[in-house]
Amino acid sequence: MDEAPAPKRTKIVCEDTPKKSIDNSTGKTMSGFKRDRHGNEKRFDNGPRPAPKPKVAVVRNAYTPMFEQLRDELDAHHDRRDRLGKVSRDVTGLSKKIVRTINPDLPPQIQAEVDSRLAEISKLLAVMVPDVQGINRHRYSRSLMCLEELAEALTFAHYLKTQTLLKPEELSAFVEELTRKGGAAVSEGKEKDKDEPMPDAGNTPAPAASGDQETTTESDPKPAENEQQQQQQSKPEPPIMSTTEDDYFYGVFDLSGEMMRFATTSTALTGKMAGAEDERTIVEDMHELGSFFEMLPMKAGDKKQWEKKLDVMRQSVRKVERLGYDRKIRGSERPQGWVPDLTVDQPGEEEE
Amino acid sequence: MAPPMIDPALFDQLKENIEKDGSIRKDLEKIIEELNQHVSYTQGVLTKIHSTPRSKYPALLAQVEGGIKKELETTTRLSQFSSQYPYYKYNYKWGRTLQDAIATVLLCAWLGGMGSDSKPGEVGRLLTLEEVGEVFGVPVNLKDRDAFHITIEEYLLALISVIEDLSRLAMNSVTLGDTELAVQISGFIKDLHGGFQMLNLKNDILRKRTDSVKYAVKKVEDVVYDLSLRNLIPTKEAQ
Repeated sequence: MDEAPAPKRTKIVCEDTPKKSIDNSTGKTMSGFKRDRHGNEKRFDNGPRPAPKPKVAVVRNAYTPMFEQLRDELDAHHDRRDRLGKVSRDVTGLSKKIVRTINPDLPPQIQAEVDSRLAEISKLLAVMVPDVQGINRHRYSRSLMCLEELAEALTFAHYLKTQTLLKPEELSAFVEELTRKGGAAVSEGKEKDKDEPMPDAGNTPAPAASGDQETTTESDPKPAENEQQQQQQSKPEPPIMSTTEDDYFYGVFDLSGEMMRFATTSTALTGKMAGAEDERTIVEDMHELGSFFEMLPMKAGDKKQWEKKLDVMRQSVRKVERLGYDRKIRGSERPQGWVPDLTVDQPGEEEE
Repeated sequence: MAPPMIDPALFDQLKENIEKDGSIRKDLEKIIEELNQHVSYTQGVLTKIHSTPRSKYPALLAQVEGGIKKELETTTRLSQFSSQYPYYKYNYKWGRTLQDAIATVLLCAWLGGMGSDSKPGEVGRLLTLEEVGEVFGVPVNLKDRDAFHITIEEYLLALISVIEDLSRLAMNSVTLGDTELAVQISGFIKDLHGGFQMLNLKNDILRKRTDSVKYAVKKVEDVVYDLSLRNLIPTKEAQ
């Protein structure tokens, strides 16, 4: 071992001791807000707040450029996610409002309100579209919870109109149509082309047959007949918002809750069970929906969420069948407007 | 007669889709399990660096590279299989295993392994994300198409594991009398720490794991401090 004089190296360690920002004259910590040199709180009333200083005085080393590049990529990812999250919340809010609106029957003024909400949603969807193309669709699935809510609203509206369950293809087609209309509305409003060309499946050489394709639907990609026969071609091939099978499933799970609420209020208001004359009532439909989910194999992936939703749905089914029973036994004794007591079936008081 | 509430064909269609999804997951799990075995063997071999003097690295690294070769083969199969499906739908399943595999490659290269004709291996070499992609033969940070690739997050998380391992090696290399290596590790980890400081992290797994880098810095600084107190830091001829 050579005995080189090297004690000055210890400096490195000394620098590392934590320094607390304590003002010795007052004993107070100086954190919380900035002060000017007179000790008064600094205000930023006029003009924008000065950009915060970089967190660390960056000493450049061999790896700095690499990290800068990675940082920029990560920032872009976080920005996309934040943007989607915000818009998604708005769409969720609007979807929930739709559900509340069409809860009674569908008189014209309510249909009009639904249409106007859908128009708002379609604009919001169009904003999100560029961020969720191709590979990014599943990357941000968790930020796109709003599609479940939208699916719930749309399937419910469909049920009220036709007393049938909307199919996944129909849902996809409907949402695609919404984004297309929204895209047209947005670009009209801005008077300029906002849709930048997205990296499309056709542009790159395909290594695998199906892996490269845009995931329009996971099920059948054939365009199903659209419920609303509106054809509005705005661009040759505008990017669209695709829905996944998960969006559909969880939307339909929530549909069962809405149907339960609808069954309860409509029975109370009209004094008879909702449904077609002399044919199926909502009780049978609930039973069918219930069996539908009970028979389906559990979807791998998010088992907890699936089980939770399944459980909530079972309770909804029981509430509606209780309603049907009450109607049958004592329906004629009840005055119109009477609301059945459903608390018996609340989970907390159930014995099983 | 009104149409039924639920079209009977719809049930069959959805049931089939769910079953297909389930079998994809099972196939993936099989491949991932295999990868996992190779990774954990390679990690096991790599633990020997803590008790191996540098003169014996070549033999050890050859063994490590043997394990890595198996990792790469399995990753190729994973890549081919999973590229048929949307990448982000299933990638959470193999993320952790792939990170560990990347970490073994990074560490092996840092110790002087993974050399090629154009780039001979040397101690202290950090493979970039692109170089890791070349080793695995898969794309990195893919944006323009939907296929298997290595993400930035996976690379950085793997790098953090390597840092933790190296901070341990710094101590053990002193035990083995190789103070020079300890000093080199110290410089490397501090440089990377500076790099991680530059990232704008959100409240996610990357932030959590990044916290451990500063403990690694402290660990190597303590080692260097002990060395300097006793004048054991080797002087560099290059300076």
